[in-house]
Amino acid sequence: MSRVDRRLNGRHRRVDLPMMLAALDESVEALDGRADPKLLARARSVAGRAGERLHLSGEHTVVALAGSTGSGKSSLFNALSGSELSPVGVRRPTTSKAYACVWGVEGATRLVQWLGVPRRQTAWQHGAVVEDQSDLDGLVLLDLPDHDSTVMDHRLEVDRLVELVDLFIWVVDPQKYADKVLHERYLRRLTGHAAVTVVLLNQIDTLNPLAAAECVDDLRRLVALDGLRRAHVLTCSARTGAGLDDVHTLVASAVTRRQASNDRLVADVESVIYTLAPSVSLEAKPDVSAGRAELVEALSAAAGVPVIAGAVERAWRRRADGTLGWPVTRWIRTWRPDPLRRLQLPGDARREMRSMLRSSIPEPAPVQQAQVETAVRRLCDGAAGELPPRWQQAVRRSAGANGNEVRDALDAAVVVTDLGVDRTPLWWRVGSSVQWLVTAAAVLGGAWLLLFAVGSDLGLADISMPSWHGVALPTAMLVGGVLLGALLAVLGRWVGRAGAVARRTRAESRLRAGIESVADRLVIAPVEAELERHERARVALSRATGE
Amino acid sequence: MTTGAEAIDLLTALEGLGEQVRDLSFPLEVADVDAARRGSREITDQLDDYVLPRLRRMDAPVLAVVGGPTGAGKSTLVNSLVGQRVSAAGVLRPTTRSAILAYHPAEGAWFENRRVLASLGRTTVASSDPANLQLVPIPSMPAGLAVLDAPDVDSIVTANRELATQLLAAADMWLFVTTAARYADAVPWEFLRVAVTRGTAVAIVLNRIAPDAVEDVRAHLATMLTEQGLGRAPLFVVHETTPVDAMLASGAVEPIRQWLHGIADDAAVRTAVVRHTLLGAVRSLGPRVFLLAAASDTQAETAARLRREVGQAYDDALARVDDSSADGSLLRGEVLARWQAFVGTGELTRALESKVGRLRDRVTSSAHGKPQPGDELAEALETGLEALVRAAADQAADHVGAAWRDDPAGSVLVGDHDLRRSSPELPEATRQAIREWQDGVLDLVRRQGQGKQTTARYLAFGLNGLGLLLMIVVLAQTGSQGAGEVAGGGTALSQKILEAVLGDQVVRGMAASARADLHRRVAHLLDGERRRFLDRLADLAIREDAGPALRAAVQDLEDAR
Repeated sequence: MSRVDRRLNGRHRRVDLPMMLAALDESVEALDGRADPKLLARARSVAGRAGERLHLSGEHTVVALAGSTGSGKSSLFNALSGSELSPVGVRRPTTSKAYACVWGVEGATRLVQWLGVPRRQTAWQHGAVVEDQSDLDGLVLLDLPDHDSTVMDHRLEVDRLVELVDLFIWVVDPQKYADKVLHERYLRRLTGHAAVTVVLLNQIDTLNPLAAAECVDDLRRLVALDGLRRAHVLTCSARTGAGLDDVHTLVASAVTRRQASNDRLVADVESVIYTLAPSVSLEAKPDVSAGRAELVEALSAAAGVPVIAGAVERAWRRRADGTLGWPVTRWIRTWRPDPLRRLQLPGDARREMRSMLRSSIPEPAPVQQAQVETAVRRLCDGAAGELPPRWQQAVRRSAGANGNEVRDALDAAVVVTDLGVDRTPLWWRVGSSVQWLVTAAAVLGGAWLLLFAVGSDLGLADISMPSWHGVALPTAMLVGGVLLGALLAVLGRWVGRAGAVARRTRAESRLRAGIESVADRLVIAPVEAELERHERARVALSRATGE
Repeated sequence: MTTGAEAIDLLTALEGLGEQVRDLSFPLEVADVDAARRGSREITDQLDDYVLPRLRRMDAPVLAVVGGPTGAGKSTLVNSLVGQRVSAAGVLRPTTRSAILAYHPAEGAWFENRRVLASLGRTTVASSDPANLQLVPIPSMPAGLAVLDAPDVDSIVTANRELATQLLAAADMWLFVTTAARYADAVPWEFLRVAVTRGTAVAIVLNRIAPDAVEDVRAHLATMLTEQGLGRAPLFVVHETTPVDAMLASGAVEPIRQWLHGIADDAAVRTAVVRHTLLGAVRSLGPRVFLLAAASDTQAETAARLRREVGQAYDDALARVDDSSADGSLLRGEVLARWQAFVGTGELTRALESKVGRLRDRVTSSAHGKPQPGDELAEALETGLEALVRAAADQAADHVGAAWRDDPAGSVLVGDHDLRRSSPELPEATRQAIREWQDGVLDLVRRQGQGKQTTARYLAFGLNGLGLLLMIVVLAQTGSQGAGEVAGGGTALSQKILEAVLGDQVVRGMAASARADLHRRVAHLLDGERRRFLDRLADLAIREDAGPALRAAVQDLEDAR
């Protein structure tokens, strides 16, 4: 095994390419609209191309000779293929079309078609036409046009084919090895493709050995600077044939291993994933639950929960006073308006709900809307503040899309909530009856006393008043009735107060439950869906790296 | 240009143009901005390094710059031409990294001072610093002509390319060296095209060519030159030989040397070469400066567009606050509840009944620690207004932030700054402003009520009560649309009471001035928000008049020519 061969095998790493591609597809799908469209387009085209290549002959390895005009690509092509297919000349640029030479025809036709090389520019080596070439069975060797001449079409053709081939051999010469175009336009973009990149210094015969060694070292340095430290750098001379055996061995080894196409696609996918990686946040643990309490609080305030709860308390108190109060004065209370009615929230919510919804769904109130907007913004900032900007935007969009809906839903939630003030407890009626009874007793006692006084004045009757424990019964009825009535009224007031506070708390928690469900349904859920999508993209991306 | 006065006119015009171009900045990232930045730098360099010094001293020696792609053998050629090893040659690319100037010792005065290439330091020893110009006086050189060995135009070393560009712009004449392998490369041809547009005198040297390829390549190259408008440029061919001590055999470069000597020795030819290039350079300035003027206009337009974006968003925000704070919709929800507590069951009716009632309320509420309904209403108004301003500011910031981020120029301006939210100080500032507004309203009532303060009605409501009523009137000024019946009724009630106390003319005036005051305060708050964006633009100091000024300078130049 030659040195070259060993190095190729040493770097070999088997990864599950179809799995990577599936993961890439998934992440691209999740990132749609949440990452730079240009990056996504590139990822899609890479994934598409990789899928195509996977379905074509895996038995063949496409090796491309690429390089500047005049570096000797065609001479090398002809030397390796043993043909005169690619014209060689001194006029620059010489090669204006891509040429292909195929060893082992079986299954290669569609591959060559896919590469877009016309038949008349393709040579087919059936079997071992040339001696010592059986080890090249499965090779598709391409001779590319130059990438640096004044002819623009050549550059475009190179750019197209560079995306498709499995193994690159960049042919350079001592004059041109440091050209900006080669390094900046091509080699630097192949960072990560070191396993399938070979840089071949041709025309080494024009230098003396010392200069040649210096030159190769310098070339190695530049290639390393391009991020291709592990790429192979070889020397040869197509004219004298020096070094061609090494090239042959390297190509043959790649062809035999049938690994280059896989390596290239893996490198492609990896580089795409590398560029996509900043589109998701690896560290951020976006969490929407932290802001939920604050959101509900803000929405409650916006929906007027404190005001309604206060009204509930007052309404209950008013009713308690009305029912349990001293019948003589309780009618005064009814002069005051029912606080709930003022808020257009009658006790029997269910019955009135339909008419409410139909007649008076409120128009957007700017303050309420403003409060909701601010609360939603804060929630999004809290949940997605550490995500990349496009995700933040997406999260805000998902939560804000329902802006009007949130407002309406809040109103609806408030309207349909049973505030629990429509049914008064049964014992209130008992209490009320007792009040009436006591009052009646007092009135009766009073009347009796009156009657007695009038009667005795007129001397109509000498009716002795029934007494009870030495107190005249009518007096006892009147005084006891009044005292008992007042006592009961005070008692009722206390009980009413306590009940009102309880009702207020209950109404508050019911309203809050309604608002929580609005918040969950219209704000939290969309945000969570967006965060889940981010997580999906993140997981898919990390899975796509094959780790 | 021949007479002194004309030359001075031209010089003045060129200096004026130079000033204009030097002052240019293209801070906004728009399409083609890199080209504009490069263009302005190139024009500045060309004026400073070539046109102005040359115009001041037409009698200075001709400067021939040897340029070309890396590996073409420029250094070897220069060594061979001057007959001495002045420039290192080698196999490592790029070989030459700093400029080397060879001239006759008698001409030293022209180059030792910084008349040309002022930005380069002078040295007499070999150096690889691109900021240095190595001076090599050589007795065998002809007087009247200096040869400058430039770095390559196409290697991976950026400093080389930039230096080469600068040196070529300073040349009276280019000696463009290329090879059999190079002659069709795209990058060097771009330089040649620049030479054509600038009218620089060019000679081509086809170096390192195998004898059997000469005819073919020479013919092809000549065709290409003709196509590019360089058909009349002299074309020299140097065969591929192995250099000895970094020099070619003297016979190989003899034709070139003779040609150079021909120019150096004949003052008329020299002047012709110099004038050809100088006129070409001056002529090329106009169109190039027009491109810069267009780019300056684009900068100004882009800045205006970004500014408009900000203006639009914040004007909308102000309008939104204005509308919602005037149509009575603020008097809903909590504010409405507080209003009704104030009107229906609380202060106002009781105030109508008697002052004693109010006093009693005060006493009980202070004993119970319960806020007055009036205070609650004021606070509810404050909260509502604050929420409005804040949401409007947030929305505007969100809008502008997104719009700027979508714009390449804007996204650079925004950078990492989080401008998508209103500033953190805004809520507090808003509350402050609204409290001040409320104070202002009270003050207004106090001033307008002058003379009525002792009337029974005035006393019945008190200053605070009337102030609140006025606020309610202001906040529901544009009618009851969306305000709801109750709020509308409340407004009508407020209005009636106020008019009864102060007179309707006065009330109308007060409402208008309170309204204007609120508008002014909100506008001031939003201006602060707006400035967070505008300041970023203002920091760039983009000159709106740069385009017209450039065009005027070009016009002056045309007049002087």
